[in-house]
Order: sequence, then structure tokens, then C-alpha cells
Amino acid sequence: MGAQPVVAQLLAIGELTPGRSSLLLRAPSIIAGLRPGHALHLLHAEAGGYRLRRVAPVTKVDLLAGTVEVGLLPRADGGRDALTELAPGANILVSGPIGQPIDVAATSLHLLLVSDGEGFAWVRLLATSLIAAGRSVVLLLEARTAIELPAASLLPEQVEIVVATADGSLGHKGGAAELLHDYAEWADQVFAAGDRQLLDAATSAARATSRPDRTRATAKRQSRSSASAPWLQLLISHEIGCGSGVCGGCTFSGTSGSVRLCREGPAVVASGSSLKGRGK
Amino acid sequence: MTEGPRSPAAVDMTFDVRGAHPLRLERPIVTASGILGFGAEAADLVDLRNVGLFVTRGVSLSARSGAGLPRVVEVPGGLMHAIGQENPGVDEVIERHGSAWRAAPCAIAISLVASDTKALTTLISRLELRADLVGADAYELDLTVASSTLEGRRWESSLEEATRLIDAARDGTDLALIVKVSPDAVEIETLASAAADAGADLLSISGSPIGFLPNRARTGGALADGFGALSGPLIRPRALAAIASAGRSLPIIGGGGIGSPADALDFFSVGATAVSLGSALWADPELPRAVIDSARRAAAAHGAERITDLVGVAVAGAESRRGR
Repeated sequence: MGAQPVVAQLLAIGELTPGRSSLLLRAPSIIAGLRPGHALHLLHAEAGGYRLRRVAPVTKVDLLAGTVEVGLLPRADGGRDALTELAPGANILVSGPIGQPIDVAATSLHLLLVSDGEGFAWVRLLATSLIAAGRSVVLLLEARTAIELPAASLLPEQVEIVVATADGSLGHKGGAAELLHDYAEWADQVFAAGDRQLLDAATSAARATSRPDRTRATAKRQSRSSASAPWLQLLISHEIGCGSGVCGGCTFSGTSGSVRLCREGPAVVASGSSLKGRGK
Repeated sequence: MTEGPRSPAAVDMTFDVRGAHPLRLERPIVTASGILGFGAEAADLVDLRNVGLFVTRGVSLSARSGAGLPRVVEVPGGLMHAIGQENPGVDEVIERHGSAWRAAPCAIAISLVASDTKALTTLISRLELRADLVGADAYELDLTVASSTLEGRRWESSLEEATRLIDAARDGTDLALIVKVSPDAVEIETLASAAADAGADLLSISGSPIGFLPNRARTGGALADGFGALSGPLIRPRALAAIASAGRSLPIIGGGGIGSPADALDFFSVGATAVSLGSALWADPELPRAVIDSARRAAAAHGAERITDLVGVAVAGAESRRGR
């Protein structure tokens, strides 16, 4: 089963973005290896005792305190989330890490992040760790309206946040990906996380930049120190699965072949094809 | 059954399909197709020594790239999935996994995916040609797959087409043939009888019924493919009803939402001779062992010599009270 589940203690439930919760967990035995891009599996029983492995991106790690914060991805059915109704002190079975660290080239000094409220769980720890490593980070952040934007205080103040709202209530009126071309020459790498529309828009915007074929990798997967890491990478969420790459529930077919998000994800090389509706 | 309790350790847990296409399960535990992949990787998840029959992920004649994302979403009381039968095609599957099947500590059934009878016939012939490498003990013919002759509806939705496919499978092999359906199957008792007449050896009522869930914006489906297959506790009563209604034409592998040993005992009690475990294995890889231990204790408490003595007792009791 890959990593064996361990018992984590719930310390607090917070709000990561409006309408999306985070859980602060004490789990000292598993936090040392957590990196941006990793998720944990939460094995909590729903009503009736049915337990699934829910994917929760790691959003913050405090090694000294022995704690990890994870973001809860919203249920597809919009249903009540039993995890958010637990009281502090409750025990939750967790396992991880799920996935691979995000591939940031050692030579990449300027990093552009593109996100919405759904993708914010993936980019928060990435932005924090990049700032800690002395990189420059710009986050293009979109929401339907200003009130749905995550709090800027969740990120280091060195992160330059550029806001886009669909209704124009704050910042650029429109989508965050529409701003990507303004940073195309500046950015050494781009990471996009969010719903399908945002990922498709980011992919299209990257293709439209002056340098041809910037969405494509020159090799399938690059090492962290590689100077030729893919310029645009998409951070793709999945909700539930086996966590071991055998069930096929999170397989993404992209430019560099099939990626099992729970094993090789969440980062995939952007593909020209739409993320949805690929046929049997 | 004997008069008094027996020792759990003395209960015979084996299950034999006798006749022209014999199959022996050392334990009445089956892993549902797709849950643990093709086999070799499964050893990292579940101890297959506690399993009687491992059913592989579905194998088709040609490679299938599968559905877009998302493929799995949570729904009230379970999950819904549409993997799209992703697999690299039979030749590649044999190369990658055939030798592992031969070395497995349990029986192996290869799940067959075909949208027409010609593809099924060719698929089976490819597997039979490589029988020396493959080492399978049975085939599972998945009637929950879409049929091209039924314009994309499942094989199980037509008695006539389902029987035609079973006939084609039976003609192609002497291995035991398991026919898999869901609670959505048409006229399940008649279908079971027709499957038996066509030469099937077991009926697996463990497939997932169809579901649909709009996405949050209600602009389409929550799954990329729209419609999906339901799993989890929400389908358990439907699976139990289908098993109880399937008659006795064939021994039954039953599954659908089994999450605990008590759930598994329910399936034995309505007529399943073996139980199929699915998505619960992801969170509880020790479930097969727990089911075996619980079934042993239950059988022993009833004075049963064999686990098969427990099969159908709840349905028999209900029929008796109704005066049937």
C-alpha cells in the first residue's frame, strides 16, 4: 500500500480559500519528506463506515511544530464534508506523501504561478518554498468575484500577487491566464493549478507566446536540477484513488505519455488537447 | 450442518467449480476487476495469499486510452467512476504481466473487454495462443461493457446479445468462464439461466450500476465521460437483491459495496458462494483476511463444515416465512 497510514491528530480546521477548508494536523512521523506538489491521503470514514482515500494537497509544513496543513478539495457532488465537522483533537488516518515534488529547475529564478481558488491548495506551499529559496514569484490569481479570492496573508509578502476577477470587482476583469503573456519573457517556468477552464486557458496562452512550442518538454521528465524542465506545467487534482497507481483512476494522458497523478503527478507537461472528454 | 458449534479452523473455505471447466478457489474471496490493476503491482497493496481469485483489470484486443479526467468522484454513500477500460491491449498485457499471473498465490481470472463478438473471439484466441505464458485459471466476461451492436448500451441490457457474446466466449476456451453483470442487468434470473445454458460456469453479480452526477456548475457531468459506474455502500442493497433474485442456475460471485466482514456475510447469506471486494481494499488492504476470519467464525457458530453451507440461508429463511 505504499506508505502505511499513520494516525494524525486534528489541531484545527481553517479556511484556505472562501468555501474551501484546510486541516492542521500533527503528524511528525510523515512531515519530514513533504515537498511542494505532495499530497496526503485522508482515510476518514463517511457515514456508514465507508472509507476512501481522499487526496489533500499539502499547503504548509512546520517541521519544528511537527504539523502539516492540507487543503480539502471540494467534493464533486457538492456534498457535506464529514472531515470539516470533526472536533479538534480527533484522530485521522493519513498516508503519504502522494505524488512527486514539483520539478523546479535550479536555474529558474523567476517563477510564474497561475491559480484560482481550486488550485490555490497546490501553489501555496510552492510559492512559500520558492521565496524561501530566494526566487522571485508572481502569482496570477483569479476568482469570479473579489470576495472569493484567498487571503493574501496566506502567502509570503515577497510574492507579487496579480488579481483577475471575472466580474471586474478587483484587478483585471477576466481570467488570470489572459495576463500570462505579460510575464512570458520574464518567467523561467510557469505552473498553473485550477479548474479545467483555467488549465486550458493557461495552455493556450503559453502556446500564443512569442517563443514557439513553449508548452512542450524536450524530454519526458527532468531532474530537479535540469535546465530544460518543462516551461509550463499543469498541477492537476484528483479526488480519490488507490494511491498506488494501479486503479487507473487518476491517469492523465499528456504530451509526455500517461501520468498517474498519484504516483508521478500532480505536475504534468501541458498538452494541446483538452483535459476533458477524451474518448474511450 | 452439524448440531453444535465447530472449531473455526476446521471450516472448509474452499470453493470448487466442477464439470468440464473446473476452477478451485482456496478462499471465497475475489478481488474486483480494476481495483488492483493487472496483478504484479497488486502484491504491494494486498496479500494475495488471502485471496481466492484475482480478477485483472479489463483487457481488450487493442489498446484503449481510457476516459478523460476526472475519472473518479465521490458521491453520497460511495463513489462514481469512468476509467474507460484503459489498458495497453492484450499483447502488451501478456508481455508485461503474464509471468506474474503464473506465479500468483491465488487463481487468476482475466477480465475480457470487447465491444463486439469478433473482437472477443480474437482476444481470447490471442490469450489461448500464449497460454503457456499466461497461466490464467479463468476468464471473466464483462457484460457491463458497452456493446457496439447495442449502440453503446451495455451487453447486459439485452438478453439476446449477452447470450451471443457468452456463446462466442465459450467457443474459444476450455477455461472456466465467469459472466459478470451488474444489478442493472436485464431479467437477471433468465440471464443466469441462459448463461448456464451457453456454457458459463459462474455468474459474478459484482458489476457497477450506472450513475450520473452533474458538475457543480450543472454545465455537464462531474465525470469527464458524463455517465459513470457506482460503487460503495449505496449499491449494496441493489446488489444483494440482484443476487437473491438470480436463482440457482450458476454459482454466484457477489459484490457491491462490501466494506466490512459483516457486509460480506450478508452476501453469502443471500446466495453468493464467493464475495468480490472492490474499492474498500484501497483503504483496508487487510479486509480479505478479516472476511475469511469472520466467515470461519460464522460458519462454525452454525455448525457448518463448509463455508458453502452458509450460502443462501437468509433467502431460504425469507422464502420459508413467505410460505414459498
